[in-house]
Amino acid sequence: MTWLEYSVKTVPSGWRKILYLNWPLVVLLSAVAGIGFLMLYSVAGGSWSPWAEPQMKRYALGLAVMFAVAMVPIWFWRTMSLVFYMTGLGLLVMVEFFGSVGMGAQRWIDLGFMRLQPSELMKIALVMFLAAYYDWLPNNKVSRPLWVILPVLIILLPTFLTLAQPDLGTALLLMIAGGLMMFLAGVHWAYFATVISAGVGTIWAVFQSRGTDWQLIEDYQFRRIDTFLDPTTDPLGAGYHITQAKIAMGSGGWTGRGFMQGTQSRLNFLPEKHTDFIFNTLAEEFGFVGGVSLLILYVLILVFCIISAVQNKDRFSSLLILGIGLTFFLFFAVNMSMVMGLAPVVGVPLPLVSYGGSAMLVLMLAFGLVQSAHIHRPR
Amino acid sequence: MIRTPLRPLARILDARQKGENPDAIERENLRIRHEQMRDKARMRAEGRLLVMAVMFFGAFCVVGARMGMLAASEPAEPRAVHTGASIIASRADITDRHGRILATNMSIHSLYAHPQQMIDPDRAATELAAIFPDLDAAKLAARFNDPKRKFLWVKKKISPEQMQAVHDIGEPGLLFGPREMRLYPNGALAAHVLGGSSFGKEGVHSAEVIGTAGVERYFEDLLRDPAREGAPLQLSLDLTVQAAAEEVLDAGMKLLNAKAAASVLMDVKTGEVISLVSLPDFDPNDRPRPLTEGEAADSPLFNHALQGLYELGSTFKIFTAAQAMELGLVNADTIIDTSGTFRVGGEIIGEFENHNYGKISVEQVIVKSSNRGTGRLALAIGSTRQQEFLKSLGFFDPVPLEMIEAKGGQPLLPKRWTDLSTATVSFGHGLSSSPLHLAAAYATLANDGRRVVPTLLKQTSPQDGPQVVSKSVAEAAQVMLRKVVTEGTASFGEVPGYYVGGKTGTSEKLKPRGGYYKDKNINTFASIFPAHDPKYVLIVTLDEAADMTGDRPRRTAGWTAVPVAAEMIGRIAPLLGLRPDYQLGQLEGVVKVSR
Repeated sequence: MTWLEYSVKTVPSGWRKILYLNWPLVVLLSAVAGIGFLMLYSVAGGSWSPWAEPQMKRYALGLAVMFAVAMVPIWFWRTMSLVFYMTGLGLLVMVEFFGSVGMGAQRWIDLGFMRLQPSELMKIALVMFLAAYYDWLPNNKVSRPLWVILPVLIILLPTFLTLAQPDLGTALLLMIAGGLMMFLAGVHWAYFATVISAGVGTIWAVFQSRGTDWQLIEDYQFRRIDTFLDPTTDPLGAGYHITQAKIAMGSGGWTGRGFMQGTQSRLNFLPEKHTDFIFNTLAEEFGFVGGVSLLILYVLILVFCIISAVQNKDRFSSLLILGIGLTFFLFFAVNMSMVMGLAPVVGVPLPLVSYGGSAMLVLMLAFGLVQSAHIHRPR
Repeated sequence: MIRTPLRPLARILDARQKGENPDAIERENLRIRHEQMRDKARMRAEGRLLVMAVMFFGAFCVVGARMGMLAASEPAEPRAVHTGASIIASRADITDRHGRILATNMSIHSLYAHPQQMIDPDRAATELAAIFPDLDAAKLAARFNDPKRKFLWVKKKISPEQMQAVHDIGEPGLLFGPREMRLYPNGALAAHVLGGSSFGKEGVHSAEVIGTAGVERYFEDLLRDPAREGAPLQLSLDLTVQAAAEEVLDAGMKLLNAKAAASVLMDVKTGEVISLVSLPDFDPNDRPRPLTEGEAADSPLFNHALQGLYELGSTFKIFTAAQAMELGLVNADTIIDTSGTFRVGGEIIGEFENHNYGKISVEQVIVKSSNRGTGRLALAIGSTRQQEFLKSLGFFDPVPLEMIEAKGGQPLLPKRWTDLSTATVSFGHGLSSSPLHLAAAYATLANDGRRVVPTLLKQTSPQDGPQVVSKSVAEAAQVMLRKVVTEGTASFGEVPGYYVGGKTGTSEKLKPRGGYYKDKNINTFASIFPAHDPKYVLIVTLDEAADMTGDRPRRTAGWTAVPVAAEMIGRIAPLLGLRPDYQLGQLEGVVKVSR
C-alpha cells in the first residue's frame, strides 16, 4: 500500500491516536518492568540505588520514546527502514575502530551522555528492513533464488560484524531472528530444510570425527566446546555462573524464600545478579510460582503481538510486529534457558527486567513501532 | 495448475447475446482470482504463523518444565567432576644430601595501608612506630596524610606477634596481605651455596619469591616448576659436615689472623661437593647489599672457594710430576739435578729460603717441594703439552658448578705462554684459579686418573669421566702426596688413622700494580684421604694467614693451612663414616684397665 492508500482509509489522527494504542500491551510491559524494579531493589539489599532508581528513570524515558514513536505514522518508519539499517551497519563498523572495550569485547560507542551498543540497535533495524523488503517484493518472487540471496546477505552482514566484536550471543540472535523473518515472509521451506540439515550435518561430522585420523578440529577446541556445552565439568571456572544459578533456583523451591530473602543473590554468590542472572534472584525469592508468573506475562505480551499482527492487513506492519515479537521472544527464551542451564551462557539479558539502559531503550523503541503499526493499521 | 480463463468464450458470447457488458465477466473473474491468490498467501502466512506458534509454545513448555525441575531439585554443593592436578605454587624446599632442610618457605603477612580509609592517621603512625622501631612516626604520618596517596606499603614482612599488635591499633586503613617468605633455618650455614632470595613481583595477596644468588638463582626455574609438585631439591652438601668445616675454618682463620678463608670437600668418585665454605660469610635470611666501592673480594658475599682466583703455588707441582710420568719422561725414582742456577727466559728461579736440594728423585722433588726440579720437568714436557694437560684437568674454564657465581671463576692464564710461563706454572705461579678448580684436579688424581667434575646435586653413581692419566701414574702421585705428609712439608697434616696425603702451596700475593707482596701469602693445602684408597679431596685456602706463635711470623702453608686442614679432617672424617685405621703400634700407650 502506498501512503495515499493509507490516507484514504480511516486512520485516527492527532491526540485521538492515544485512544487507539494497544493499551493491554502497555500494561503488560509495565508489569514486567515493575517486577524488574522489585528485583533490582532486592539485589541491592533493599535499596533503590544503585540499580532500581536509574532503571525506573530509564523505563519512564522508554515509555516516552514508545509513545513518541507510536504517534508517527507507520509508513514513515517503513520509508526510514533502509536508513536505519545503513546507520546500524555504519555504527557496527565504527565500533570496530572507535569502540571502547568492556568485559573483553568491543561493543560500545561512548557518546558522552550514554554508551551506545550498536548491535542492540541492529536487532530492530534488521527486522524493520526485512519487513520492508518483503513488503516491497511481489509475493510471487519471494522464493526465487536471487530474491532469497539478497535477504541472506542483509542478515549475514551485521551478523559477521557483531561476531567480530566478539559477541556470539547477539550474532546468533540476529541470525535466528532474520531467518525466522524469512520463514514468516513465506520463503519456500526447502531452503530452510537445506540450511538446517547442512548445519546439523556439519556439527554431526565434526563430532563424529573426534578421535579419528581425519579429525576436523583440534583436541583443545573439542575440550572448549565440551566446557561450553556442559559447564558443570568446571564448577569453579567456566561453570561457576551456572552452578550458582542452579543452586539459587533450587533453593527457591516452589514458593520461594520470600522477598529480599534470597541468600545466593544477597550474599554475592550469584554473579551478574542484577543483569543476566536476575531471573535466578526472582526464582530464589518467589520460587516456581514467581518464575512461571513472569513467564506468563511474557507469553501474554507475545500473544498480544501475534493478535495485533494477524489483525493487521498491511504486510509491512504485520511482519514488523511479528519480527519484534519474536526478537523479544528470543531474548527471554535464550536468557531463561541460559540461566537454567538449558543453553550455554552467552550473555543475553532478560528483556525489561535486567539492569541496562541500552537494551531497555531499544526494546521500548521497538514496542513503539508495534504501537505505531497497531494505530495506523488499515481499517 | 489449471487456470480459469479470464474471458471464457462461451460466457462472453452468451453475455453479448443477452446484451450485457462482457467486461463485467472479466472483472468478476479477475476479482475472484485475486481473492484466491490472497487467500493462498494468507493461508501460507497463517500456516507459517502456526508453525511459529507451536515452536513458541514448545519453548515455553520446555522453559516451564525446566523451571519446575529446578524448583523441585535439592540444592547441592557443586563438586568438580575431574579436579585435575593441583598446582603447587610455592617454591620448592632445598635439602642436604640426607634430606635436612636448608631452605624452606614460611607463611607470613605483609602490612600495607589505604590512607583514604584511615580514621586517625596520626595515631596510627605513632603506634606503628612503637611496634616497628625502624619506622619514623613523622614520616609515616606525612605519607598517611598525603591526599593523593591511595596505597602504601608499611612493612613487607611482619611476624604474627607484630600482626596482632597492629590489629590491636584498630585502624581500618591498615591491612594485611598473606605471602610466603624464604627461610634459611640454619642461618649463615652454607650461605654462599644457597645464595639467597628476594621478593619479585609483589601484590597484596601474594608475592613472588625469586632467587638472587647461588643455587637459589641457578635452579630458579626448577624450584618454581609446578610440575615437580613441590619435590625438594636435594643438594650434595652434608649439613653436619658443612657445619664442622665452617667451625674449624672459622677458628683457624681467626687464630691465624687470616683475612679470608675457603675450603672445599669433594667426593672423588661422584664429584659431589660435600661442603663448600667461604669466610667471611653472611646470613641469607638478611642478605647484605653488594659493595658499591672497593674490592668485590672484600664483601662477605664474595665466594672465595669459587670466585676467588689465586696463584695456588706448589700444589700444582704434583700435576707436573704426574704428566712427566704419564709421558714416560721420568718415573718416581728418576734423579733430577736441582742444584745450580736455573735460568729460564732471563729470570732466575730459586728455591724456598734458598735451599739447595742437590740431586734428588722425582718423588723427593715433590716431597721437598723443589721449584727448580719441577721447572726442569716442565721444560722437558714443553709448553703445548703442559697447556693441554692443564686444560684436561679443567684449569682453562670456569668450573661448571650449579651456582650462578661459578661463571665468575674464569682462571687467569698467562697472556703469552713462554718458557718462563711453563716453568712458573709448573709450580703454581702465573696461573690463577679457584680452590674449586684445584679440588676438581686433585679429585682426578685421587680417582685413579679419571676426570671428575664437581657437582652440587646428590649423585647416585660414580662419574664416568675420561682417563686423564693412567691408573699407575695416579697411584704413584698418591704415594708422593702421602710422603709429603709423612716426610715433607705437610708434616702437621697427619691425622691418626686417616692416612692423609696432600701438597702444600704457598704463594705471595700479587700487588695490584704488579710484583708480589713479601708479607702477604695465599696458603693452600690440597689433601686427599685416605691416601691408600682416596675417597675425599679437601682443599683449604687461607688468605694472608700468619702463625704468630713463634719468634717470627710463619707464613707458609705448612704452618697455617695444613694444621687447619688436619683439624678439619679429624672432625669430618668420622662424620663422613670413615673408620679410623689405627696401627697396633700407635695403641702402645693405651693401657687396658679393668676393675
